[in-house]
Amino acid sequence: MKKLFALILALCMVFALCACGQTAAPAESAAPAESEAPAEESAAPEATGWAPDGPVTLVVAYKAGNGTDVTARILAQYAEKYVGQTIVVENVDGGSGSIGWSQIAAAEPDGMTIGFMNLPNFNSSIVKGLGTYTTEDFAAICNHVTETSLVLVRADDDRFATIEDLVAYAKENNTVASTNGAQASNHIGAQAFANSAGFKYTDLPQGNTADELTSLLGGEADWCVAKVADIAGRTDVRALASFSTERLAEMPDVPTLGEKGFYDQWLGSSRCVVAPAGVSDEVIAFYEEAFRLTMEDPEYLEAAASFATDYKNAADTAALIQQQQEFTEGLAEGFWYE
Amino acid sequence: MLETLQLMGQGFISALTWMNLLAMAGGVALGIIIGCLPGLSAAMGVALMLPLTFSMPADTGLIVLGAIYCGAIFGGSISAILIHTPGTPASAATAIEGYQMTLQGKAGKALATACWSSFWGGLLSCISLYFFAPLLAQLALKFMSAEKFWLGIFGLTIIAGVSSKSIVKGLMSGALGLIISTIGLDPIDGTKRFMFGQAFLAEGVNTTCALIGLFSMSQVFILAEKEIKARAKAAKFTDKITLTRDERKKIRPTIIRSWIMGNIIGILPGAGASIACFLGYNSAKQFSKTKEEFGHGAIEGVAGSEAANNAVTGGSLIPMLTLGIPGESVTAVLMGGLIIQGLTPGPELFTKHAAMTYTFFAGFVLVQFFMLAIGTLGCRGFAQISRLSDAILIPCVTVLCVIGSYAIHRNMSDVVVMIIFGVLGYLMRKFDLNTAAVVLALILGPISEKGLRGALRVSDGDIGCLFQSPVSWVLIVLSIVGIFSPFIMDRFERKVAGDENVDQAVQDETLS
Repeated sequence: MKKLFALILALCMVFALCACGQTAAPAESAAPAESEAPAEESAAPEATGWAPDGPVTLVVAYKAGNGTDVTARILAQYAEKYVGQTIVVENVDGGSGSIGWSQIAAAEPDGMTIGFMNLPNFNSSIVKGLGTYTTEDFAAICNHVTETSLVLVRADDDRFATIEDLVAYAKENNTVASTNGAQASNHIGAQAFANSAGFKYTDLPQGNTADELTSLLGGEADWCVAKVADIAGRTDVRALASFSTERLAEMPDVPTLGEKGFYDQWLGSSRCVVAPAGVSDEVIAFYEEAFRLTMEDPEYLEAAASFATDYKNAADTAALIQQQQEFTEGLAEGFWYE
Repeated sequence: MLETLQLMGQGFISALTWMNLLAMAGGVALGIIIGCLPGLSAAMGVALMLPLTFSMPADTGLIVLGAIYCGAIFGGSISAILIHTPGTPASAATAIEGYQMTLQGKAGKALATACWSSFWGGLLSCISLYFFAPLLAQLALKFMSAEKFWLGIFGLTIIAGVSSKSIVKGLMSGALGLIISTIGLDPIDGTKRFMFGQAFLAEGVNTTCALIGLFSMSQVFILAEKEIKARAKAAKFTDKITLTRDERKKIRPTIIRSWIMGNIIGILPGAGASIACFLGYNSAKQFSKTKEEFGHGAIEGVAGSEAANNAVTGGSLIPMLTLGIPGESVTAVLMGGLIIQGLTPGPELFTKHAAMTYTFFAGFVLVQFFMLAIGTLGCRGFAQISRLSDAILIPCVTVLCVIGSYAIHRNMSDVVVMIIFGVLGYLMRKFDLNTAAVVLALILGPISEKGLRGALRVSDGDIGCLFQSPVSWVLIVLSIVGIFSPFIMDRFERKVAGDENVDQAVQDETLS
């Protein structure tokens, strides 16, 4: 009898092992059923001369279920048709993303491991000294999602009808702005806005965007900066201005900060696909083409309706990474007044 | 009103399709398995299944996720009871009494209690989900920095309750936990604290890792210390997997208390099932008529913890659905699932998408029955594990500990952290320190710190900001009651009992 239980326990452990595998491979178990058939008659781009000969690992530096993870999985699911192989999303979270990015940088540059890089959090991790990598350790493939930052207030806050009201008020009174963490993306946005408008404020770091918005809704913060996707469909917050060079198509009534005479650069976050440095040009070209086709696929676009897909080619993405790096490094002096 | 009731009724009808029923049964079973494996938490289980639901109809997808959530929270109790290894942090308090029951050969009873209480905790939490959601959601917006600070302090007062043997040792353990909780990037300025150049410590010591080390790995060391063959494991295994009518009656008030607490804790942002289980356990103990049983396998202790953590499930959905505020990691993932399905949290869920929302609610109610059924069936088998000899159990639990801590980030550094905490836990138990208090402080330390520093930042250092809102005062009063109640109740009972027995029993109470 005891042997039987020992056997059951052993089976439990085997299952645990499988479950560990699951952490990495839900896409694998999820997708084959529907994607195996199209993979056979692969629509993969040919001419480039290279193609993966096994499952491709796509590293996401955040937890499963996180915003980046969800969008990455949708991309992975539809990209399998064009890549011709299973794409396994692997969540390597921790260290504010630096653990995952270290893993991408250290991966074999054979094109079998690629990953998501989140700007500007990636750049912050370098500036903060969390990662031992630099931008040189990665080769850009393409950009996937771009989210523009917005200045937000509560929808029912009648102190601030326009961005000018907020600036005028903030010059007279000390306002509180909640952020998603010290020197994190939304803190950078709040600071850039305040610097350009010439007022000081108290920042309240909350560690993540959900808590940041709760803090605003609960009345602890007067305003905050968050990205377009964070407020999609919400009626309890109101955007006063966007950190963009042109008005956003989805909210034409919201002015840009630039047109009101404040911060006039684009600010927000980007999620791009990268490979470890040292991969061949054929690999880059292969994925660039495969993801471009994916992002134009009507089925993908239907599944991805809830976020802003923004394809950029490898060269533009590399330039974006570099620009964000210089911007983040430039913040070190004179930006934070403390 | 009538229209709403009609929608609710229709919700049940649409939830009762074969596809949905299958989704419930499968989700619950999978959730229980994920829950009882240490290292795989409810949040991870829901996140892993999320991509699979993209291709399902919205209601079925959400029901699967809800079923996994409920199943995992209950599943955590199984390993907590049988091998002193809480499968998820939400069952940390269940291990305290549950494992004592297993040692006495009453594993089946403990599992049945956990199942029964989880069922009622979950089912009752649906009541508030159905009828008070918009009302209760506002509560989440009352919890700003100062209130979070007091919530953390209130939670910490439970240390007094869980460390009846020696309050000084309890406080020492709590202080140790608070010190450990300062490791990582500080929540306000992002300064690196005690990280020693290790990036994996940036987000602090992983609570699950610490929990596995302190509870399970230390248990392995303690078991291994004894002469394995000499120890007859729970020689008599005569108990039934059912509860008697008297036992059900006994735990009824405990379940109701835990439901209310769990539900409220679920609604509050930042808190969650891991705190609720301790609160439920603590109140079960404080109000128990047979306090001397605590520490020696009190059925009410298991019921208090398990009803509370399952009551969190319904509660935590409220602010997520109505305000788009996820109170804890599981609901954050669920919210991701909703958005992918094109459903934005907010009032529209109860108007435009009401049919889908009430189908999900109905599914959530039915899931509780599946949990009871699958749990009761499964317990019969699971309980047999308690008859295994230590010679088999020790290597198995060790492997589970290692896999569990590795699985969190797929990183060996977490395994090292787990082993360090295992040694720490072993030493602590040798010195009669309280490992539960460490875990509690580890969970609550960051909440209180962030709350206190955030509140002071906003008020520009004026300490008065901590005493402004009525909610703060409620929590302050509760904290004071929490600190002194064990002493007062103790004295009161001695007077009533008037004999040495009670005194002796209180002294004898042990926790780990």
